[in-house]
Amino acid sequence: MRAARRKGLGPLVLIAPAAVLLGIFLILPYLNIVVMSFRMPGQGTPYGPGFTTGNYTKFFADSFYLHQVANTLWIGLLTTAICLVVGFPVAWQLARGTMRFRALAYGLVLSPLLVGIVIRSYGWTILLGNAGLINRTLTGMGLIDRPLPLMYNALGIVIALVHVFLPFMILPIMAGIQGVDPSLESAARSLGASRFTAFRRIVLPLCTPGIQAGCILVFVLSLSAYVTPSLIGGLRVKTMAVTVVDALIDTFQWPWGSALALMLSVTGALCVVIFARLTRMKWKVARP
Amino acid sequence: MKRPVLTLYCLLVYAFLLAPILVVVGASFNAGNFLTFPPQGLSLRWYVTFFHNDVFMRAIRTSLWVAAVATVISGTIGTMAALYYVQHAGRWKETVRVAMLAPLLLPEVLTAIALLFFVYAIGIGTTTMIGMVAGHVLITLPFVFINVSASLESFDPSWDMAARSLGADRLTRFRRIMLPLIKPGVIGGALFAFIISFDTFTISFMLKGIGTSTLPIQLFDYLRTNFTPEAAAVSTVSIVLTLVVVIVSEKVLGLRIHRF
Amino acid sequence: MTEVSIERLTKTFGTARAVDGISIRIADGEFISLLGPSGCGKTTTLKMIAGFEEASEGAIRFDGKDVVNVPAEKRDIGMVFQNYALFPHMTVDQNLAFGLEMRKIAKPEMRSRIAKVLDMVQLGGYSERFPNQLSGGQQQRVALARALVIEPKILLLDEPLANLDAKLREEMRVFIRDLQRRVGITTVYVTHDQAEAMTMSDRVVVMFGGRIAQIGAPSDIYERPENLEIAQFVGQVNLIKGTIIGAAEAGKRRVASVFGEVAVDSREDYAPGTAVTLSLRPEAIELRPEGQGGAAGKVTARYYSGSIIDYRVALDSGETLHVQTFPNIRIAEGDRVSVHAPADGFWLLGAAK
Repeated sequence: MRAARRKGLGPLVLIAPAAVLLGIFLILPYLNIVVMSFRMPGQGTPYGPGFTTGNYTKFFADSFYLHQVANTLWIGLLTTAICLVVGFPVAWQLARGTMRFRALAYGLVLSPLLVGIVIRSYGWTILLGNAGLINRTLTGMGLIDRPLPLMYNALGIVIALVHVFLPFMILPIMAGIQGVDPSLESAARSLGASRFTAFRRIVLPLCTPGIQAGCILVFVLSLSAYVTPSLIGGLRVKTMAVTVVDALIDTFQWPWGSALALMLSVTGALCVVIFARLTRMKWKVARP
Repeated sequence: MKRPVLTLYCLLVYAFLLAPILVVVGASFNAGNFLTFPPQGLSLRWYVTFFHNDVFMRAIRTSLWVAAVATVISGTIGTMAALYYVQHAGRWKETVRVAMLAPLLLPEVLTAIALLFFVYAIGIGTTTMIGMVAGHVLITLPFVFINVSASLESFDPSWDMAARSLGADRLTRFRRIMLPLIKPGVIGGALFAFIISFDTFTISFMLKGIGTSTLPIQLFDYLRTNFTPEAAAVSTVSIVLTLVVVIVSEKVLGLRIHRF
Repeated sequence: MTEVSIERLTKTFGTARAVDGISIRIADGEFISLLGPSGCGKTTTLKMIAGFEEASEGAIRFDGKDVVNVPAEKRDIGMVFQNYALFPHMTVDQNLAFGLEMRKIAKPEMRSRIAKVLDMVQLGGYSERFPNQLSGGQQQRVALARALVIEPKILLLDEPLANLDAKLREEMRVFIRDLQRRVGITTVYVTHDQAEAMTMSDRVVVMFGGRIAQIGAPSDIYERPENLEIAQFVGQVNLIKGTIIGAAEAGKRRVASVFGEVAVDSREDYAPGTAVTLSLRPEAIELRPEGQGGAAGKVTARYYSGSIIDYRVALDSGETLHVQTFPNIRIAEGDRVSVHAPADGFWLLGAAK
């Protein structure tokens, strides 16, 4: 190990390609987009000469965008919360279950990852549409007269987003639970804790990092999701990501689009920081 | 089953996970012109239509090409970075990890936009595939890194020392000891990279040039205006292609994984 | 074969001196143990001999040739690791062949050498097994075989028995020692288990805090420890207060203690009247029923463990003794006893502090 350190340059060769790649194609573009967000809007060109803070003042001045940010955050939070509730028991069973078909179940959890997001969202349009499978079935059974509004609203988006990102919740939590020695639970129960108390006081705090990772991942992913809201929300419900992309692709307003994208990302990052703070504080109190 | 409620609940979740995929596959065999249920008879006509659709066929070729190139590049770069991270990073370990995972943690939309502006800023634009491939390498890199570094972490340094004590030089140790033992991680990472690249949308959407649409983009465009089951046929073929890649890499490359 | 000489070997990590200027000469074919608590520098020393750690200062010579700048893979050592470090993706045969391939040994010779060494470690029929198909003891023997098959200059073992259960560990001690004698290879063995070091080694090097506390034959270390720390590390010891009376025959000192006046072995000279500490091993003490001379005391506890019995005896003079005897005497808890200790059971540790 020391020999390697002394050679110094040798090992750096290993990291150099990644550093160059990230430097050129990640860091420089991000610096560039920050600069872009302060440029003047152009007339017939993507951006004009000179700099301005106008893109940001426009954002804060217009309640339409603030409202849309709130809407996007709300969809993200809802998606994350539902993913957690839906995914935790599955993660638990995968981590601790002694079932025969564990490999198959694991494959099922992974399966959405193997299928593109466009295809999965497409599947949901088939299921949720006014003439879709669910509404047809329910009408056919005489349970409803008019189709339920499942698509072109926040509900449809959340359902599809939960599906799309559920594996990202289940996998880290499963890893977290697997990292907790089952004998700790037995120990807690031998000391008189109920199954629930043992879970709450022992297992939950220990697999917190997995839960946090899953929540943050799902939240960030759903904030920047474009395909699903675009296909399921249609023109009626737009999330920030959709607005941003449209601003760039359809109207070529680069500085404005940059400002919007950055505001969305900064808000998302703030939420993550707040979430991390809150959860850690809470669990610290829970610990003796 | 020991806990029937939990089991039932999980089965429901699995059904939920599978439902939209099964629906798409099912819809592709619909003989009718529209996505109706129950289907108006079974037919492969939409597959025939699809195979004669040049736009889709070109998109498949583009997708496979980009995914292959991105996998090779990010597989190599990511494996090297993982080697550095586990064995040499020292106190820079956390920095390296965060940097390598950054493309996964940053919103893909933002990365895609930033990259788009950047390729224009440096004057290459979207006329070449450089921007698109770079984007795919970026977003697949974390998956290679995670997989390879996980298998490196479980690589016992005393194996390397043992090989040294037996007289093996650096290259031999890498080739005969380390590589075979981290192979599952490398293959897993490359597999992930390929699938992510093959399926990714946002990056390709922003960075596509004229005539360089990938399959997901073409499908997305199609879905905005058309409702025929051809899209379902396209999707099914895409799913099958992914499955083939998974199975082939498992059978051909992964055979030795199971030997120990 | 090979003679190893270590001269003022030092290893510093930052400001810490993990190994602090140690010198050892290891004779050809000698079995030497580095014994000490964890963190004493014994493993670091072994790694420097192997070439896995660079020496900060000092020399390591194999047959007079300094190997400090020779990389591990060129030092021609055989090493057995604590966790065996068998290559999990190779069969036993492939594991053994690896070192021979590195030396470009021809196939037929390779085959015969592997067969011979497998026979030696009694694993004849196991060559096609993978390591995870072997028990701990078998893996251990494969590791040993892999190190020996290359016919190295020296054999290095890093706590090789630490992961085995107690019974197997005792068997392997004898096995390794016998094998080493048969092969006649210079061997350095690292352990924190004093019994292991004692039974296997020609000489034991006791290390504390990166320095050598004492080098000597096992009996030397056990019976004539340089200081209290060593005495306590290599076994149980009772400390008895005494006062020097004068010189006795053959370099011994007459010392007065609760056991009366005895002639005690000592390395150094002390002026009459000096307060000293004597060590007395538990198994050297003899207990007799009350009223038979010696020091008087009372048994406060008795622990039966089959081959021996441990007693705690409170002497009337206030000291507490730990006594180990064969279970052929029947003395019960609470009995009053006469405690006897032969003169050669004592050792003069040093002036009392």
